[in-house]
Order: sequence, then C-alpha cells, then structure tokens
Amino acid sequence: MRRIVHKVWALAPTLTLPRWAAEGMMLAVLVAYALLYASPYGLRVLTVAGVYALAAIGFQIVFGLGGALSLAHGAFFGLGAYATGILGSQWGWGFAATFPVSLLVPLLLALLVGLPVLRLESHYFALATLGIAQVVHLLAVNSPALTGGANGLPGVPGIMLFGWAVPRGLPLAAVVWGFVALGGLLAWRLARGRWGRALTLVRDDPLAAGTLGLDVGGLRLAAFTLSAVYAGAAGALAVHTQRVVSPEVLEFPVMVSVLTIAVVGGRGRVAGAILGAVLLLHLPEWFRFLERSYLIVYGVALLATIVLAPHGLTGLLDRLFPARPAPLPKPAAPPETANPTGPLLRVEGLTKGFGGVRAVDGVSLTLEAGTITGLIGPNGSGKTTLVNLISGLEMPDGGRVLMGGTDLAGQRPDRIARAGIARTFQAVSLPEGASVLAAVAAARLERDGSIAQAEAHALWALERLGAADLAAKPCAGLPAALRRRVELARALARQPAVLLLDEPAAGLTDGEKAELAGHLRAIAATGTAILVVEHDMGFLLPLAGHVLCLDQGRPLYAGPPEGVRSDPAVVAAYLGEGA
Amino acid sequence: MITLQLLVNGLALGAAYALVALGFVLVLNATAAVNFAQGDLVMAGGLLGVALAPHLPGYLPLPGLLLLPVVLVLMAGLGLLLAAAAYLPLRRRPPVAVFISTIAAGIILQNGASVLFGPEPRAAPPLLGGGTLDLGGLVVAEQSLAIIAVAALLIAGQQWLFGRTQLGRRLRATAQDPEMARACGVPVTAMILITFALGTAFAGAAGLLLANRYFVTPTAGGDLILKAYIAVTIGGWGSVPGAVAGALLIALFEVGVSSVLSYPVALGLLYATLLVILVARPQGLFGEAARRRA
Repeated sequence: MRRIVHKVWALAPTLTLPRWAAEGMMLAVLVAYALLYASPYGLRVLTVAGVYALAAIGFQIVFGLGGALSLAHGAFFGLGAYATGILGSQWGWGFAATFPVSLLVPLLLALLVGLPVLRLESHYFALATLGIAQVVHLLAVNSPALTGGANGLPGVPGIMLFGWAVPRGLPLAAVVWGFVALGGLLAWRLARGRWGRALTLVRDDPLAAGTLGLDVGGLRLAAFTLSAVYAGAAGALAVHTQRVVSPEVLEFPVMVSVLTIAVVGGRGRVAGAILGAVLLLHLPEWFRFLERSYLIVYGVALLATIVLAPHGLTGLLDRLFPARPAPLPKPAAPPETANPTGPLLRVEGLTKGFGGVRAVDGVSLTLEAGTITGLIGPNGSGKTTLVNLISGLEMPDGGRVLMGGTDLAGQRPDRIARAGIARTFQAVSLPEGASVLAAVAAARLERDGSIAQAEAHALWALERLGAADLAAKPCAGLPAALRRRVELARALARQPAVLLLDEPAAGLTDGEKAELAGHLRAIAATGTAILVVEHDMGFLLPLAGHVLCLDQGRPLYAGPPEGVRSDPAVVAAYLGEGA
Repeated sequence: MITLQLLVNGLALGAAYALVALGFVLVLNATAAVNFAQGDLVMAGGLLGVALAPHLPGYLPLPGLLLLPVVLVLMAGLGLLLAAAAYLPLRRRPPVAVFISTIAAGIILQNGASVLFGPEPRAAPPLLGGGTLDLGGLVVAEQSLAIIAVAALLIAGQQWLFGRTQLGRRLRATAQDPEMARACGVPVTAMILITFALGTAFAGAAGLLLANRYFVTPTAGGDLILKAYIAVTIGGWGSVPGAVAGALLIALFEVGVSSVLSYPVALGLLYATLLVILVARPQGLFGEAARRRA
C-alpha cells in the first residue's frame, strides 16, 4: 500500500500546477455549483457548511496553529448561538445588535477561563475545556426561564443587513460565505504573519519560544480568545439559518464536527477548514440510511485521516501541487546594539531545591563582556539547573540575577530573553516541520517588523557561523552537529549581551569542536559574555578565561582554567573521594 | 440511617466508577496516551449485556452471573481491536494524535450503538437478582452488593496480577519506562495490547454493572469519560490507588449532592470543582504519579 502511494507521489511532479490555480479552480467549482445547480436543499447544506467552515477556521487558530486541543470550541459556538437566539427571539433585537453580542460573550468567557486554564498541560487543558463545555450545556438545559430549557427558543429572526432582510436560499448562503471569506482572509493573513509563526513555535516548543522572547501565555490566550470569537460568529449564523436555538448547539456533535473538519481538511490551514467543511457537511448526504447516526462516518473519516494522512487533505494537495520554494532573502545585519563593557550579568547566591535535593545551593558568578566562562562539574552537579534558573525556565528559591541593575530572578523567560540573555539547550530542539531559515528567524519575531526582515537577519546569523547554505533545508533530518550549529545561530540572532550554552560541543568531532571554538571566540570578541557548560576539558580549558566548578549544587572551584586540573577538590569530585 | 443508605449507594456507584478509572489509568501508564473512548467502552459493555440477555439459559440458578465472564472476554477483544486501530499506528506521534484517534473510536462506538440499539435507555439483567436485602433496617439492592463485590474482586485481581506475577512485572516495567523495558527483553507491544484488553474489559464490566440500575444509552459515554478523567486527576495523574480513591470520592459526592439538590446540580458542581482543582492543584489531591515524558 505504502509503496503504491509513493509511486503516485513520484508521478506528482509531472502534473504540477501553481497552488493558487488549484485553489482558485476549487473555489470556482463551488461558486458555479451554488449559482447554477444547487437545489434549495443543496443551498441549505452549503450554508451550514459555511457556518462550520467559519467555526473550523477559528479552531485552526487555537488547535492548528496554537496546538491547544480546546474542547470548549463547541461551547463558544453554542454561546454565540444562544446570545443571538435569546436577544433575537425574546428581546426583539436586530442582527446589527445581536451579532456583536454573539462575538463578545464567547470572547469574555474565553478571557475569563483562559488565563488559568491555558497554563495546564495538553491533556489537562483538553479536560478542563471539556468541563467548561459540560457546565455551559448543563446551565442551558436547566435554566428554562432564560434559554427555553431542553426545547429551546423558536422565532429567531433572519439576518438584516443595512435594512435588507436576507431571504433564505442563495442570498443567505452568499452572506454566510461572505463572512467565511472575511474571517478566512483575516485568519490567513494572521497565520502567515509574525503572529502565526510565533504561535506555531509556541505549539512545537513552548520552552524554546519563551527563551526567544515570545510571551507564550499571551500568545496562547490571544489564540484561544480569537478562536472563541470565530466560534461565536459561526453560532450566531447557525441560529439565523435554523431560526431556532436549542441545546443541540452545545452538544458534543458540534465539537466533534469542527474537530473532524479541521483534522480532515488539514491542521492549521484556512483552506483546510473550508475544504473540510464543504466535504464533511455533504458526506452525510451520501449516507442517508444512517439518519441521525451520520456521525459514525465522521468518526471513520477522523480515524482514517489521523492514521493515514496526518496533514489532512490540504497536506495531500501540497504534495500534488508543491509550493514553489520561496527565494532566500538577502542577508542583512540587524541594527547594532551598544557594545557592552564590564560585568554584564551578576548572579548572587542562587538557590534551588527539588524536594529534598539542593540542586543549586548558593551559587554566585559574574559574566564580563567579551569573556568566555566555563561551567563544569560532574553529572547532576546543577549546571543545567543553573542555566535554567538564569534563563527563567525554573523558578529560583532564593538569590538574585542582576543585569544592568535589575533583578531578573524569577521573571518570565521571555522577559529575561528581552533583557538580553539567550541560551541553547543540551538536547537541541528545533521545530521539525520548519526550514532552518524559519527556525532561526523565530528568534527575531519579537523584534523585527516583518517576516522578511526577520529572515534577512536570520540569514545574517547563519552566515556568521558559516551555515548559510543550510537555510533552505528542513530542520528534520539534520545531523547532530548541524542541529547544534543552527540552534547556536538562533541564539546569536537574538544579538544577546549574555549567551548561555549548554554542552554545545556534545556529539561533535574534534574538527567540528575546533571550528566551534573559533566561532565562540569571534562572538565573544564582539562583546558578548558567554557561559559554556561542558564536559570536554580539552575543548573548554583553552577556550575559557575563567572556570567555575560545581559539585552537588555548590561551587567547588572558581578561578583560571590552568588551576582546574591540579585542584584537589575538583579532582576528588570527578574521580571519587580519595582518588 | 439515610446517610448510611446513601453511603451504600455511593459505594456501589463508586465501585463501578473505580473500574472505569482503573482501566483508564492502566492504559495511560502503559502508553502515556489518553484513551478518550473509555466512556464509550463502558457504554458498549452495558449494551453488550443488554444484547446477550435474551440468549441466557433461563434454567440456571443465576443466569445474570454468566454474563460477566462473557462480557469481560468480548470486551477484551474489543480492546485489542481499539489498540490495533487507534493506538499502535500512532505510537510515534505526539500524544494529541492518540487523543483524537480515540475520540474518533468513541464516536464510532457511540453512533454504531445508536444504529444498532436506538437512542432509548435500556437495562441489562441484574447479576444476582433484582431484589433487595434488609440488613437490620438498611435496605440494600442486591445489585448494589453485586457491583461492590465484582469490582472488589476485579481490582484485587488486578493488584495480584501486577504485584505477584511475572506478567505483572513486565506490565509494570512497560508502564514505567517502555524503552528500558524493551532493552531488557520485555515484549513491549504485547504488554501494551494486554493492557488495552484489560482496561477495556474493566470498562465493559463497569458498563454491565451500571446498566442494570442506572440504564444505558448510546450517549452515556461522555459523562463517564469525564468522571474517569476527574477521578484520575484528583487521585494524582497516573496513580492506580489514587484513581480508585478518586472514583469513590466522585461517586459519594454525586450521590450526596443529588440527594440534597438534584443530579444536574451535582454534575455541574463536580465539573466546577474539577476546574478549581485543575487550576489550584494540577498535580491532584495526592500528588502526580506519572512521570513527565519529555
């Protein structure tokens, strides 16, 4: 089976067609169908497909780009539906007043619950959002005075646009799809811009995103809230189509449909949401005998897609009509930062315990501009924890991290990153789906005005490390040494005053180590203060001007590299007591 | 006396929830994946009992009791099927992939059940008898006692299997560190399949037990997965005794609040409490047991 699929892919380049042409053709077919062939019933299905497309576009923002499996999306849809339903049928409000309220109510709930809930890890987040959905559903069913209870409320008015009551059929379908076009365009622009890039990095690697100056919590909250607005808009349009609102709009099938549309269409893609909605809303028509159990088809489609085609239909289309690779930008040096001098970072009495273990116990050090400091110690001596404490990934129990007079200890990673501290990780993590250039450009998203500018600056950083030829390559499949190089370029692209490197030479050959040492000296020569955690003394001692050795969280030795090998305490810690 | 009565009802309900939560947490530990279909598997077990009931040999003294082993075996088979379709192909993907594939499996089960059985609530036959016992003024349904007894037996069996047998050691090794277990020669894939079979069989047993007194509908799974999830969350994510304790707590809460106010209020309060726990103490009431898999 797989072999056949590969053969088909091998043929694919012979039928290449520009992507916009393929997408334009699909759109033209859809419009032609609506105008020329669709029966009133067909138009109704198409209208509902538009409603779901809008909801799914919102879901792509929070789930596709942001990576948060929000099971409250159906609840936001239902809230939008009820806001329009109650105000329209009971209070006699018109579309111009109810529609904004339908956007506002889900937005407010998302803001309210988002702050605490978005901190949770993936499965807890899914559970918490499902809990929210269930509470909203229970409230709707059990407050008959407000919502009409299980029966719902009839008599919701239609859409009124600038004094024109939109009749059912083609006009309603056109208006709904107009909203889809508007919402789709906005989401598409956001997804392609700096915000979308930042959000995908938050999805793929939230830790790295924080150390690159991106406000992970803020980005997630914005995505969650924006998705709620889309869901609310879709819910409002749904009741204008149905003309009644009932607890059905809050039930799990709505959520399941949106999830299926997003996954089958292609995660994170606006085109995927539209394609998936049109396809899946028409699917039950071919399985009429299942009646109300048509969702079984969705279940099968969802399972088959996630197992066989994880990138969905748009993923398959991308392979048939591959996008032409964008030309590389011209490298450009980012604006110079002030050349620093003197002590840049002072760590004083930093302490951190995990349970009963003092991982870091009263460590102090000073990093001077233009110097390289080595941090050594046996495994488990607290080196990585110290780097994590300085960069904000762990919360210190005590002590200060002073930079330019401000204490950064305990601050959020993105604030610390913005103060001028950059770092790399012991286990290199690069977003597997991105190109090298995009991965490095992520470091500039917070600072540069556009993606093009960020990529030009990223290419400059790659060039400095002699790695510009990697720019167009995908991160996935790079050998270990090159992955370290790319990660270093990403940290360098931040133009940090202080650079913390966690075992940058691990897994490198001797030749590669020598090359790395040359690059690090060049970086230090520009005034950057570098801290290198390393086990390889042959690499580190000639490089460092100052060495700090930790053992069980406590400083054991601090001084010139020449003294390390002869210090009895260091030797004892490395080779065991009495050696 | 009323308190005691509620306590017995709560214990019976909690015993069934404990089976659901136990099955959920066993799979969670073995695969680091959330089995979202667990609630629908409970429903499937209940409907399996309903479907098998007419074929029971009526001349035997306790026909309902025969259902239990049959449901356990058939559901174990369904568990293998679920693992093969929704877990094994995705084991190298991010956990969210399995979350979604099990949501899909749940949808298929739920809607398949409504095609086969229709949406009406149905009752499975009682395990022992439909009567009640008078224990010194305390009126207890025989089924309640049967639920508590069966759940206790199955949980004890699971403890014995995991604690005292070679197979159990391999299952625990798989749950603790699959890479290391594989390096030590444990057939990890087989262990994962066995865990799925076990977890699904427990869900089926819970479904059979619940489907007599509380009825079963094709859509019953949604609330059950949430309750299993809540039990595991308050018990400490990944902790087996915590899951059982959490299930008992939830059931007592549900029965207690329902008796004073109403079931929807109890359910609403339960979910609201969950949100508060998640936000205030995400490691659960007794601390998180599952190690984070980086």
